[in-house]
Amino acid sequence: MAITGRLTMTNQTSIHGILAEFDSVDGILHAAEKVKQEGYRKWDCHTPFPVHGLDGAMGIRQTRLPWLVLVMGFAGCSGGILLQWWTNAHDYVFRISGKPDWSLPANIPVAFEMTILFAALTAFFSMWILNGFPRWYSPLFRAKCFTRATDDRFVLAIDARDDLFGEETRKLLESLSPNTIEMIEAPIEDGKIPLRLKGMLGIALTLLLLPPAMIANARFTKSTQPRVHIVPNMDTQVTHRGQEASDFFADGQAMRLPISGTYAQEDDRLIGEQVGFWTGKENGAYLSSIPMDVTPEFEDRGRARFGIYCSACHAVNGSGQGTVHLRAQELLSKTWVGPTDLRTDAIKQQAPGQLFESISNGIRNMPSYSSQIPAADRWAIVQYLKESL
Amino acid sequence: MAKYANVNELSDSQLDNLLEPPALVQNAETFHDITESVCSIAEADRMPRSWYVLFTLALCFLGVLGAMIFHLFTTGVGVWGNNQPVAWGFPIVNFVFWVGIGHAGTLISAVLYLFRQGWRTGINRFSEAMTIFAVCCAGLFPAIHVGRVWVIYWVFPIPNQMDMWPNFRSPLLWDVFAVGTYFTVSLLFWYMGMVPDLATQRDRAKTKLRQFLYGIFALGWNGSNRHWHRYERAYLLLAALATPLVLSVHSVVSFDFAVAQIPGWHTTIFPPYFVAGAIFSGFAMVLTLSIPARALFGFKHIITMRHIELMCKVIMCTGMLVGYAYAMEFFMAWYSGNRYEGFTFVNRAFGPYAWAYWTMVSCNVISPQIFWFKRARRCIPLIFVISIFVNIGMWFERFVITVTSLNRDFLPSSWNYFSPTIVDILTLAGSFGLFFTLFLLFCRWLPQVAISEVKNVMPSAHPHGNHGEVNHD
Amino acid sequence: MNHTAPTYSADFATAAASRLSRAGFLCGVVGLAVAIGLGLAEGDHMRHFWLSYLIAFAFVLTLGVGGLFFVLIQHITGAKWSVTVRRQAEFAIGTIPFLAFLALPLLVPLFSHEGVEEFGGLLWSWVHPHGDHAALITSKVPFLNVNFFVGRFVGYFLIWSLMARYFKNASIEQDKTGEHELTVRMRTRSALCLIVLALTYSFAAFDLLMSTDPAWFSTIFGVYLFGASFLAIHCFLVLSTLYYQRQGHLKKMVTIEHYHDLGKLMLAFTIFWAYIAFSQYMLYWYGNIPEETAWYLIRITSPWTNWSWIEPIGHFFIPFLGILSRHIKRKPPLLGFWAFYILVVHYIDLYWLVAPNLYPDTVPFNGVEVFALIGVVGLFLWKYGQQAKQHSLLAHRDPLISDCLAFQNY
Repeated sequence: MAITGRLTMTNQTSIHGILAEFDSVDGILHAAEKVKQEGYRKWDCHTPFPVHGLDGAMGIRQTRLPWLVLVMGFAGCSGGILLQWWTNAHDYVFRISGKPDWSLPANIPVAFEMTILFAALTAFFSMWILNGFPRWYSPLFRAKCFTRATDDRFVLAIDARDDLFGEETRKLLESLSPNTIEMIEAPIEDGKIPLRLKGMLGIALTLLLLPPAMIANARFTKSTQPRVHIVPNMDTQVTHRGQEASDFFADGQAMRLPISGTYAQEDDRLIGEQVGFWTGKENGAYLSSIPMDVTPEFEDRGRARFGIYCSACHAVNGSGQGTVHLRAQELLSKTWVGPTDLRTDAIKQQAPGQLFESISNGIRNMPSYSSQIPAADRWAIVQYLKESL
Repeated sequence: MAKYANVNELSDSQLDNLLEPPALVQNAETFHDITESVCSIAEADRMPRSWYVLFTLALCFLGVLGAMIFHLFTTGVGVWGNNQPVAWGFPIVNFVFWVGIGHAGTLISAVLYLFRQGWRTGINRFSEAMTIFAVCCAGLFPAIHVGRVWVIYWVFPIPNQMDMWPNFRSPLLWDVFAVGTYFTVSLLFWYMGMVPDLATQRDRAKTKLRQFLYGIFALGWNGSNRHWHRYERAYLLLAALATPLVLSVHSVVSFDFAVAQIPGWHTTIFPPYFVAGAIFSGFAMVLTLSIPARALFGFKHIITMRHIELMCKVIMCTGMLVGYAYAMEFFMAWYSGNRYEGFTFVNRAFGPYAWAYWTMVSCNVISPQIFWFKRARRCIPLIFVISIFVNIGMWFERFVITVTSLNRDFLPSSWNYFSPTIVDILTLAGSFGLFFTLFLLFCRWLPQVAISEVKNVMPSAHPHGNHGEVNHD
Repeated sequence: MNHTAPTYSADFATAAASRLSRAGFLCGVVGLAVAIGLGLAEGDHMRHFWLSYLIAFAFVLTLGVGGLFFVLIQHITGAKWSVTVRRQAEFAIGTIPFLAFLALPLLVPLFSHEGVEEFGGLLWSWVHPHGDHAALITSKVPFLNVNFFVGRFVGYFLIWSLMARYFKNASIEQDKTGEHELTVRMRTRSALCLIVLALTYSFAAFDLLMSTDPAWFSTIFGVYLFGASFLAIHCFLVLSTLYYQRQGHLKKMVTIEHYHDLGKLMLAFTIFWAYIAFSQYMLYWYGNIPEETAWYLIRITSPWTNWSWIEPIGHFFIPFLGILSRHIKRKPPLLGFWAFYILVVHYIDLYWLVAPNLYPDTVPFNGVEVFALIGVVGLFLWKYGQQAKQHSLLAHRDPLISDCLAFQNY
């Protein structure tokens, strides 16, 4: 047995502790049992891997770490649910395809992931905190035998601050037949972080806070400056007026001709022979009758098409008090021009051709419906307007 | 004693092998031997020449990836083959492929830990690292495929300029949480396992710089048994948390497909089927990596034939689970009486992508069947080839699922044959560059094997006397 | 290996097993008689009774086949922890041929022509397709027809019985010879058996339970029943071990560590069951396709709403929180309580899978179910006890038994 280090115990204030090095699992287990029996409190074993049975031999109590993890797991779960409820069902409600604002099954995956995330972070960091990490400096590191405590040696360390620490301690350790016994002196410097380093860290942290502070400031103040375009996307495109010159096209003009094969709406080639059916007019005069066979099915279709396309603004009874109108009144009360009451004489007296033309081409605020409603259906609506409304 | 025959007296070598498996660590007498063989790699001044060759190659591919991403950002996602009706092409296939590979790491670490499979110790560090790097590659694809990467933070629930929150009903958002959590927990798990080994490297370091850097990351670990106690508890809890997490992550990835109503995607077996596939491909990748690595770095005594054989068995088993899912899907497509389902599956097997389908089936279901034979499970070149087959097969599985269901959907007028562009292919190849660059750096500087855990499964780690609470009967 | 392997002795629990067997037989006869009586009194062509019988039969089937899964998985993984409790699972699989016999009465509702106009069949309405889905069901006739159905079940039981016989007998054979070859042979054979078992059990799940709503389908259904069965057998092992220990057996051979391990697997498979059940529900709920959600719609609307709440809360949250702590897993009586609780909710789960398909508008649950369950479980225990009284409760010459006893959870 080699003994290194100072072995005099006279000046205990300068001694940090005493180490005994063993080279087998059995050695450290046996030593730990003995040291525990002697009643030492401030001591530890340092091993390259967790030695099973050493917890029992040292009398270490079960850690409360699992409880922390459980609590934080619940916190993660409820936090996940709360986050989803607040963002999607409260602060900014997602109304998509008539689905309810809040439906739990779709929120379970994220709540689950949050549970695991919180619990795992807690398991990891409470291990740090309970173990006092990070602690880069320890007087033990100065011991010669200690470098092999992470390799293949098992070191038992008794702290000098233990009440029982004294000459007997060394004798006890010697009796356990270790490879070596080593004393460590208390460190000259206390191992604390120098003030200058602390100051630098403080400044660095403060600087790190600046960007989020600036973002927060930008979010909660108003500015007359235009927004900063880091990536312009398509929101500042070059536009040209009709008759302006342009360098882009070879002919130097901004305006383009329609592509070949484009027809004007009035073009005879589109309308063919049934001019009245397609335009509502013949020889400049509105048709005075529906150019189709009026059957009960035709009338039913007119009612249905009216319900689908017209009632949103004009209301089902044609009064002009449709949902769109009511909503628009709420939002744009000053500038909104409401839909016409279709039951008035002014409308009733119009020729069917005129009504057809209004539906086809739009009138005042009302847009053209010719692309949505086939001509035959427009006539059916006209029939419904004239006869049933 | 006479009626209780000693195992070693039996001549049958198979019997010996099964009942008294060869030691997990071979030809290493002492704990120090383990430390030496693992740490000496990171401490060496030079690596084997093949490391430099591989690293240069990996860097080239990484460069290709960088170039492709630059091209993509400056031009737009039109450089890819994604188009109607196959709007989800290579990016999602590559994403699922890499995430799948990323599953074996945590599975080996966590699940095998919970099941007390000592053999995990030889390969767990390795596969955890693989997980981290594979998840990096996986995360890349959804991030770059959004088109406007500069607003990718919209997927996180942080206030943005539109005053809107992300839609938590979207499975794509679940992905963000699942993959994000998975990456975080895997990283913690990997790092936590590495802390004691980093301390070993710190204590062996010859230069100040190494001592400082390893020291910083070792957090001041000193092997205290009081620390070990909390460490082991935390490690067990992380394992217990990571296990359902592994299941959930690939399940959530499967939800990306399965919540949709597309035939071939909307089926209930998708979550467990994806998980089995992920484990399958992950183990294949572990084999692909560990077979060359154990030869290159001299770990044949730590990653032994027994480890490789066991991994072959896991591959065979999960391969059959995947086969079970293929069969169930086919049966239910018919049994459901749903014509669209039926059509999709016939189209998969006999349609324009039949070549991909049969590549998938032969690689995933047929090729691992060779592992029924013990001789095949011990033939390193063959295992290496099969592991690559499985990697290919699992990539094609995602390709088949994504592309065949989309290319002929409900609207026959939009049916179209999807072909990747050269940018698609080079991006995929480049992602391997990223993966291998990270992996080779890991091999160079960090402990590739969990030193303290391997020591723990050596016979000399177990006490011989009657100590502490070890008290039976 | 030079250390002397300790020897263990056989543990015959003849008296305890006979008591169990006798009590089981008594419960079986009385329970079934009362159930039949109550069923006849309802005057519904015995439909309610057959439903109760089907669920009770499915319940014991999950124990029998769950045991088979358990035994095969222990062999294929070379599990050491379970050696001292495995024999009880081997007794459970020994009942499989008897379960085939218990399945015979189900031929009555299959072939019966009573109630055809109303329901199409007493339990399986595909026997005589009718109503809205008749055309759809007709397209499934190549699979869902009485002859093939019966043929399949003959096949399933033949395969399961052969497997059960082999694995039980080989293990008991080892009690006599101590041959280690047997362990190796069982391990080698368990691989192929497991594949066959997985496939047959999935289809049995489709046939027996899923096809009670012939229009509905789910690819995960086989995995669902596997998860439920595997959970059930662990609970059964806990209860059975507790029974034998109360009777003075297995005292030193099944330790707290074994209970802890069984408890961990109960927890794991409670979670697994929830995972599978949630996956199935979530995908059908989210997809919202009428032919798929109809099955859930019946269950989440009145009068089945409350029963459906039992699934997530009673079958997952309560037992999950109940057995989460290691302290509970290490207290056998408490663990026994949770095992019993999980078996109860397992029965409710099976009932929930089938009953709403037959009774969408009412919850028929009453004494018929209770007595049918008592009856069928009683008969199962009768056979189980008969197995147990002939053989040792312990596979005492299994070569892994010393490893099994040396282990400690930490």
